[in-house]
Amino acid sequence: MKVFYEKAKVISLKRIGDSYLEIVLENRNIARWGRPANFVLIKGWENYDPLLARPFDIVQADGETGRFMLVIKVTGRGTRLLAKLEDKSEVSVIGPLGKAIEDFSISRIGLLVRGVGAAAVVLLAEKARERGIEVYTFLSASTGSRLVCRELLEKYSTEIEIATDDGTIGYHGDARERVSAYLDEPGFDRLYTCGSRRFARFVKDMDKQGRIEGYLFLETYMACGMGDCHGCAVGKATGEGYYLVCKDGPVFRSSDVVID
Amino acid sequence: MASLEVEIAGIRLKNPVMPASGAYEYSEERKSFFSPGELGAIINKTIFLEKRIGNPPPRIVETPCGMLNAIGIPTGGIEDFIETQLPKMESFGVPIIASVAGNSIEDFLEVSERVAETGKVSFIELNLSCPNLSEGIEWARDRKQLFSVIERVKASVDIPIIAKLSPMVSDVAEMAAVSEDAGADAVALINTYKGMVIDIEEKKPLLGNLTGGLSGPAIHPLAVYAVFSSYRKIKIPIIGIGGIASWSNAVEMILAGATAVGIGMYNFVNPMVMKEVIEGISNYLDDNGFNSVKEIVGLAHRLG
Ligand SMILES: Cc1cc2nc3c(=O)[nH]c(=O)nc-3n(C[C@H](O)[C@H](O)[C@H](O)COP(=O)(O)OP(=O)(O)OC[C@H]3O[C@@H](n4cnc5c(N)ncnc54)[C@H](O)[C@@H]3O)c2cc1C
Ligand SMILES: Cc1cc2nc3c(=O)[nH]c(=O)nc-3n(C[C@H](O)[C@H](O)[C@H](O)COP(=O)(O)O)c2cc1C
Ligand code: FES
Repeated sequence: MKVFYEKAKVISLKRIGDSYLEIVLENRNIARWGRPANFVLIKGWENYDPLLARPFDIVQADGETGRFMLVIKVTGRGTRLLAKLEDKSEVSVIGPLGKAIEDFSISRIGLLVRGVGAAAVVLLAEKARERGIEVYTFLSASTGSRLVCRELLEKYSTEIEIATDDGTIGYHGDARERVSAYLDEPGFDRLYTCGSRRFARFVKDMDKQGRIEGYLFLETYMACGMGDCHGCAVGKATGEGYYLVCKDGPVFRSSDVVID
Repeated sequence: MASLEVEIAGIRLKNPVMPASGAYEYSEERKSFFSPGELGAIINKTIFLEKRIGNPPPRIVETPCGMLNAIGIPTGGIEDFIETQLPKMESFGVPIIASVAGNSIEDFLEVSERVAETGKVSFIELNLSCPNLSEGIEWARDRKQLFSVIERVKASVDIPIIAKLSPMVSDVAEMAAVSEDAGADAVALINTYKGMVIDIEEKKPLLGNLTGGLSGPAIHPLAVYAVFSSYRKIKIPIIGIGGIASWSNAVEMILAGATAVGIGMYNFVNPMVMKEVIEGISNYLDDNGFNSVKEIVGLAHRLG
């Protein structure tokens, strides 16, 4: 797959609540070639500290305007530096990376996401809907102000259920309970999850029981993002070695990998 | 335009820039940026005779101006190298360095012989210095072992041998001299420094392997010194490796005494770095009135 290493111009940077950023960037190649499950490595500073670029999912990609969007949770040094970017400044971007989801020969998918994990599935929801696939989304967070990508997911989903741990918005409790209500009727051809280890274990269990085909969006530390460093290893379920999340993933069939 | 050509053990490299082992795959993704055929030489990630799966995750972590890695050398083994990696590498038409390692002298001998038998490899680099294997560094740390592994491999293959050494010794220049005495045709300096990061939430070492090897700009001055001090003690060429992130870092290495340079982890940060370094060295030579890169190898020793 062709990978680009280019500059991208900051078109807008919006802070959402106290801990999230929505950044719209301009780069024709990423916008044109970004596909569901692809991610980019972003570096928005010149010096050697922090040294590595940071991986983020492509949330929106518009080949016509040449713009793409990232949704970022501010957690550490790199993301704090990104939060300080000004309009019209430039970042370097490497991408698109990762194996895109290209097989849409299905009729109904479920998306079970939590927190900033929602960023990973927006492009999937959009492209699936464009192909007439029904998209059922279960969006969860600890509290209402931590619901991420809500409007976009509402737009692209056939049905959306929101759950918060404290009940500020939507269902008061665990989104897994809501998913369970749909597992048999209407049922999903595939259930994708991102953003919570508990959700990943749940999807793996349901897959094991034969109730769904489960898929996990995985995140690990990364350096190169394209298979050179072997840093992003995740154990194969067979016990025979490791997959590389950046190149073999980031999406894996839940029965193929070991999660703890 | 100044000439960038250099020679190692009689083999000509069209320029002095190559990847460091383990940090660059000959993949479609990498070919998006530039062709590996533009490099002076190419090298594989170290192989062992047998297949290995590598260390449990987490395998990498960022550190100030650097990173620790504890990959543990996953490898498909010699068969996979000959059948799948070598044909890919051959297609670029530049000299190939085969990086090999073993758990015993016998392993080193067998893997080196099998690589040399292919007739497609210009050099064998003995990785005597991986910090992520229980026995890895010991080869480069013990004079006797270092001498005998190099001497035995040298006697059993007919292509030049590069000894890749560890800086984790009291004097790397002495180990370079031992390598030369044992018959090495060149040395590659340096491999990573062993280090550790503690996860303060979990209250235990962060890496799956507990320790990892430090690379990146953080180690650059240490690597320059390793090259500088070794240059005074040996006559064989040095491949300078460690923290090169720009053409000026590479020029420093060459002035310190490196005939060629290897670039490792910075390929992750700037996929164009090796090409930029080739161009940058060329401009530096022109701007400073040199006709050939060979004229500046070790030049920093005039005053020192
Ligand atoms: C394929 C992939 C897609 C991702 N998509 C998104 C996204 O769309 N939105 C979002 O907010 N976050 C996403 N993440 C997580 C995001 O990369 C990290 O939160 C971010 O790198 C933290 O950087 P920092 O400098 O702020 O944190 P620091 O803790 O200072 O970072 C130190 C080092 O650890 C790494 N690191 C820290 N946390 C993570 C993590 N959770 N995952 C991977 N590496 C980490 C950093 O990249 C850096 O190398 C994704 C991660 C991966 C692997
Ligand atoms: C992810 C990673 C994997 C490496 N694997 C190997 C290896 O297989 N064999 C080897 O001789 N050196 C290996 N090294 C060491 C590099 O070749 C190099 O000596 C070291 O990283 C210092 O150079 P740098 O600072 O430019 O990265 C590895 C380094 C990194 C970062
Ligand atoms: S991040 Fe380097 S191999 Fe995956």
